[in-house]
Amino acid sequence: MKIFWKEFTKMLVISNPLFVVCLGNCPALAITTALDSALGMAVGLTFCLFFTSMIVSLIRRAIPNVVRIPIFVVIGATFVTIVDLTFHSYVPSVWALLGIFLPLITVNCNLLGRAEVFAQHNGVIASVGDALGTGVGYGFAIVIIAFFRQLLGSGTLSVLGHNLVTLPGLKEQPIGLLILAPGAFLVIGLLHGLFRRVGVEKSE
Amino acid sequence: MKKFYPIIILTAIMLSSVILLSLTNAFTKDKILAQQNEQTLSELKSVFPEMTDYTLNKDIYIINANGQKIGYGFIATGKGYGGAISILVGLENKTTVKGIRIITQSETAGLGARIALPSFADKFNDKNIADIKLKQDGGQIDGITGSTISSRAVVEAVRNTALAKVQELPN
Repeated sequence: MKIFWKEFTKMLVISNPLFVVCLGNCPALAITTALDSALGMAVGLTFCLFFTSMIVSLIRRAIPNVVRIPIFVVIGATFVTIVDLTFHSYVPSVWALLGIFLPLITVNCNLLGRAEVFAQHNGVIASVGDALGTGVGYGFAIVIIAFFRQLLGSGTLSVLGHNLVTLPGLKEQPIGLLILAPGAFLVIGLLHGLFRRVGVEKSE
Repeated sequence: MKKFYPIIILTAIMLSSVILLSLTNAFTKDKILAQQNEQTLSELKSVFPEMTDYTLNKDIYIINANGQKIGYGFIATGKGYGGAISILVGLENKTTVKGIRIITQSETAGLGARIALPSFADKFNDKNIADIKLKQDGGQIDGITGSTISSRAVVEAVRNTALAKVQELPN
């Protein structure tokens, strides 16, 4: 259990997949315009990471080195397709928001990256901890970005149709820039700096 | 034997993947279909706000309002720049279009994807079927600047399908 928590917490801040390792930037720019889509992406990616890392780790001794990448991709793509079909049938609104970025989890660097870098060399418990840490760390990162972009860019915060907060002045005059791609760069850049300052510099 | 080992293991993994995905598909298929039907219905309602019920004649929706026939709806499929575009067409009668809605499209975001905006769909309102051509092709529809392929795909699909469906319509 100790090894699980060690790998899990390591990925949350010290090597946060988005802010420190800088992987998976493409969906982080595209789907962080609303909390709904960021949460959907976080759940989808965590699910795929969990099963891919678990299975890769379980069969790691049987995987021939020459075909390891195709094997990782096939395993990853299988779970991505399962997520795609499940979202389509149960949360169609989130599925429509994510659009092409849901099937594109297959080529998310984090998915292949964790299998290649970690799961194929480590035991099941450590790999699952690492995968869940990556998923939660990435999800946490995109939810923070989405929080700022939705709140300031459209003046309201809502999750699955429930309105959480409405900022009086911003609702009528939102900062439209934040909803566009440059806004994502600004928010991600500021958070990058913050994470380095509080997380990484301390651990160094 | 050792030479074939990678092939065997990759095949085994592919097969398990296929089995797992067929199972998932079997479980979610009906729900996804129901979901799509519901979407088509709500789009039909937005084209025909007065609609109270409909009957299905093969693949044509016959729209009724309190027992009165007020129009027809069907799906047209066009070939766009990025793949198939599926369009819901509502006809007021056999010659006039009531309105259209883009159901699915995979055009370039920011360019061709603008066909899904209401401002483009609204150009089809109350047009004669024969006039549904781009202005540069001699019709009455303004294409979207920079997205001629996508605009033309929608326009052609709507006109050709409408002309074909009108022949099949019951009186």
